[in-house]
Amino acid sequence: MAEVRLVDIEKKYGNFLAVPKQSLTIHDGEFLVLLGPSGCGKTTTMRMIAGLEDITSGDIMIKGERINDKPPKDRDIAMVFQNYGLYPHMTVRQNIEYPLKLRGMPKADRKDRVRETAEKVELDALLERRPSELSGGQRQRVALARAIVRTPSIFLMDEPLSNLDAKLRVTMRAELKHLHHELGVTTVYVTHDQMEAMTLANRVAVMREGKIVQLDTPKKIYAEPADLFVAGFIGSPSMNLIDGAVKDGVFRADGVEVPVDLADHDGVVLGIRPEELDITQDPGAAISGKLYALELTGESTLVTLRNGPSSVCARGHADFEADIDSPCHLAPKEGARIHLFDRATGERLL
Amino acid sequence: MRKTLSYLAERALLVLISIVVLFPIAWMFLTAFKQPRDAYSLSLNFEPTLQNFVTVFSDPWNLGSMVMNSVIVATVTVAIAVPCAALAAYSFSRFRVKGRKFLFFLILSTQFIPAVVIVLPFFLMFRQLDMLDTRFALIIVNLAIVTPFVIWMIKGFIDAIPTDSEEAAMIDGASRLRVIKDIVMPMAAPGIMTSSIFCFILTWNEFLFALILSRRDAVTLPVGLVSFRTERGDLWELMSAAGVMITVPIFIMALFIQKHFTRGMTAGAVK
Ligand SMILES: Nc1ncnc2c1ncn2[C@@H]1O[C@H](COP(=O)(O)OP(=O)(O)O)[C@@H](O)[C@H]1O
Ligand SMILES: [Mg+2]
Repeated sequence: MAEVRLVDIEKKYGNFLAVPKQSLTIHDGEFLVLLGPSGCGKTTTMRMIAGLEDITSGDIMIKGERINDKPPKDRDIAMVFQNYGLYPHMTVRQNIEYPLKLRGMPKADRKDRVRETAEKVELDALLERRPSELSGGQRQRVALARAIVRTPSIFLMDEPLSNLDAKLRVTMRAELKHLHHELGVTTVYVTHDQMEAMTLANRVAVMREGKIVQLDTPKKIYAEPADLFVAGFIGSPSMNLIDGAVKDGVFRADGVEVPVDLADHDGVVLGIRPEELDITQDPGAAISGKLYALELTGESTLVTLRNGPSSVCARGHADFEADIDSPCHLAPKEGARIHLFDRATGERLL
Repeated sequence: MRKTLSYLAERALLVLISIVVLFPIAWMFLTAFKQPRDAYSLSLNFEPTLQNFVTVFSDPWNLGSMVMNSVIVATVTVAIAVPCAALAAYSFSRFRVKGRKFLFFLILSTQFIPAVVIVLPFFLMFRQLDMLDTRFALIIVNLAIVTPFVIWMIKGFIDAIPTDSEEAAMIDGASRLRVIKDIVMPMAAPGIMTSSIFCFILTWNEFLFALILSRRDAVTLPVGLVSFRTERGDLWELMSAAGVMITVPIFIMALFIQKHFTRGMTAGAVK
């Protein structure tokens, strides 16, 4: 177990700034998720912690010790690589066993450990195969098993579930969460899937173009996105973002009129989550338009209405039914959170 | 119609080239089994004999000691050159050191120097060191010749291996040397095998330096062939028998390379 501190770290590839100067502390035993779109520097950040990538400037501290110059093998970490990095000339069993062998575990113990771990990721039937004889999802599970077979001070996981089918992804997610609960090992987890981030993390660091734009608990990030980017990135379906302006204490856009507590301001984006909107028959409701689409998800129905260029989505009752193109009205629920952002800067206004 | 025509033309050309290339070799094999009186005859109708092989291994030819020299020189050269070259190739492939490209070019450039230019300095050097006519001298010279070539060859194979597995091993707790031993070498094995055989063939066939630097004790097979040009004329049937001795090992190795050349070991490492 260990605390990881990144102090003013920066990474440049030649002239390209992949990760601008910033600091981040990952607490002892924490499950921290780096979340962001593809190419935003998540893998780079993780590789710097692992020691696979030189840092251009700054310090990395593990357990209070500066480890910038320590080779990866002395950092006591285990890592799942985004593209697996399996040992193609070894069987699945040998792949999983290799870290134990390197750390000098006796042969008999190794055998038990490998079997237990393989069962956890449902690989026990494939132990004698080679990676080339496995599907993508199976390879990913070998990579995962190889990382969790040992109990290191830090787990680094780079999109470890991205190639699994939906069902296995959900079970593996629970498995990882339980594993973290059981071992309490500090974990840094990279994903571009906000659902994974929300379900797994103690804290989420949302990244954009290499920069951490918000670092907080999933709950807080969901309830109070720091800016327009985070607001649009977190949540599924994503937050409704409506372009308009505030005048005399009212936000106005086509078919939208919401009283807000903000001074006059042009170029405002109003954000409200679909689950915080009610469908009403009241023609004086805050949002009006024509019904555009109905999508039944099982436990609820997603109702999309349109007015001019803007469309707004609400999560309604599973039984909700209406004709497409019929007039439709939405009103914020009692106590609903209304977010206001500056269009130009993306900054949060309210 | 056109397709079959071009197909036939292609075949005909292949056959023609094969004949041109293989004819001298086939003729050598035939001659090796001929009696001296048949050696100059073009007729295929002769009484085959194994006597030539017996003769070349006995006095005064003593091909046995030359076989021994060739085997020792080639084997030791491979045994030293390939591991060194593999490490050098790995470094050139993986470490981003300043001046790396220039250094690599420098090593390769040794291959552009014609051997005749440096054979005399080598001769003087070994005479000074009192190492003329020793296998040791031949091994050193051959190392100088083949190592750059083998570095270049193995680097190509290592470049083709993705680094992901190596990085995984380093995180799993392996030192750099351990990574090379456990991960890189097994993955590069087909390439290293191929390079070793190339290296062996180059050394086995090396003529110029062996000719200049050996006299009696360290004579290798290719040089030994020259001794069949005597004052009694060229002893073609003996020379051919010795030629067969030189070619057969190379043939076997070439077959081996062909079988393993294209087989890679990297499948399944990454997505
Ligand atoms: N070895 C490299 N050389 C140059 N640019 C790189 C290298 N590795 C990554 N990058 C760049 O750095 C940025 C961040 O990459 P990465 O960390 O892999 O993103 P992510 O994992 O979030 O998808 C990308 O724009 C990528 O093109
Ligand atoms: Mg990545």
